[in-house]
Amino acid sequence: MGLEIAIKESKPSVFVVTPKGELNTDTYRMLEDSVKEVISKARVLVIEMGRISYISSMGMSAIFRIKIALEDRGGTIALVNMQPQVQQVFETMKILSPQVFASLEEADDYLDKFLDGVQTGKIKPREPLT
Amino acid sequence: MKPVFTLDQKLPTDLKKISPFIDRVCREIFELTADKKQAYNIKLVLEEALTNAMRHGNKLKLSAKVKVLITADRARITADIHDQGSGFDFNGLADPTQGANTQRPSGRGVFLMRKLMDSVEFYDNGSGVRMTKKFPAG
Repeated sequence: MGLEIAIKESKPSVFVVTPKGELNTDTYRMLEDSVKEVISKARVLVIEMGRISYISSMGMSAIFRIKIALEDRGGTIALVNMQPQVQQVFETMKILSPQVFASLEEADDYLDKFLDGVQTGKIKPREPLT
Repeated sequence: MKPVFTLDQKLPTDLKKISPFIDRVCREIFELTADKKQAYNIKLVLEEALTNAMRHGNKLKLSAKVKVLITADRARITADIHDQGSGFDFNGLADPTQGANTQRPSGRGVFLMRKLMDSVEFYDNGSGVRMTKKFPAG
């Protein structure tokens, strides 16, 4: 199974990425390439994970690199609506837990606070990892 | 118990071949266990092992092969994956769930393999790995 990706700007500087299929060794680059352009414009990138049926470490690494690229520009990422078998992999790896939400509604509070923090200057681009 | 499924194959080093290969193997495995979570984990572990073998073992060299031997019955699966590289320090890998390692984008494949299988044994200096998982009775 391959990967299909839809991207829309739901409000200014907030983009929702909806991948469908498997995020694996074969498809992870598609996700990274698809969001490359919007990372420069996005404060918030929401990845709607509900149609991702499978993820491997290569897929997780791709999401992690997207997160780092966003944070380098003062943005953030939210992963919403994961299928249980996909969420299990994230939980096993203990990564991105602050950015994983059961639904977009649940993520809204986090994202509103984040955007407020950006506007008030409390949230700034993070220092790159050395 | 006699294996219900046996596969002995040499794969070319081509990342694009991994997904269709695993799908083919997992169609057989899914017939042997009703536990969907187990089946999902087997698929994941096979991808991790094959990706490591091609990327890190064979360094994506097209002419290099990855030897795959899988045997399975309704009680367990054993997968043996051997690349043509020089191996790696499999005892020196950092735990990706600890400290600053959690902030690094890569280095999680072997951890997943060890976490999801009952046994993971590296041999030939790490160029080969033999993994076993028992299926729950039922």
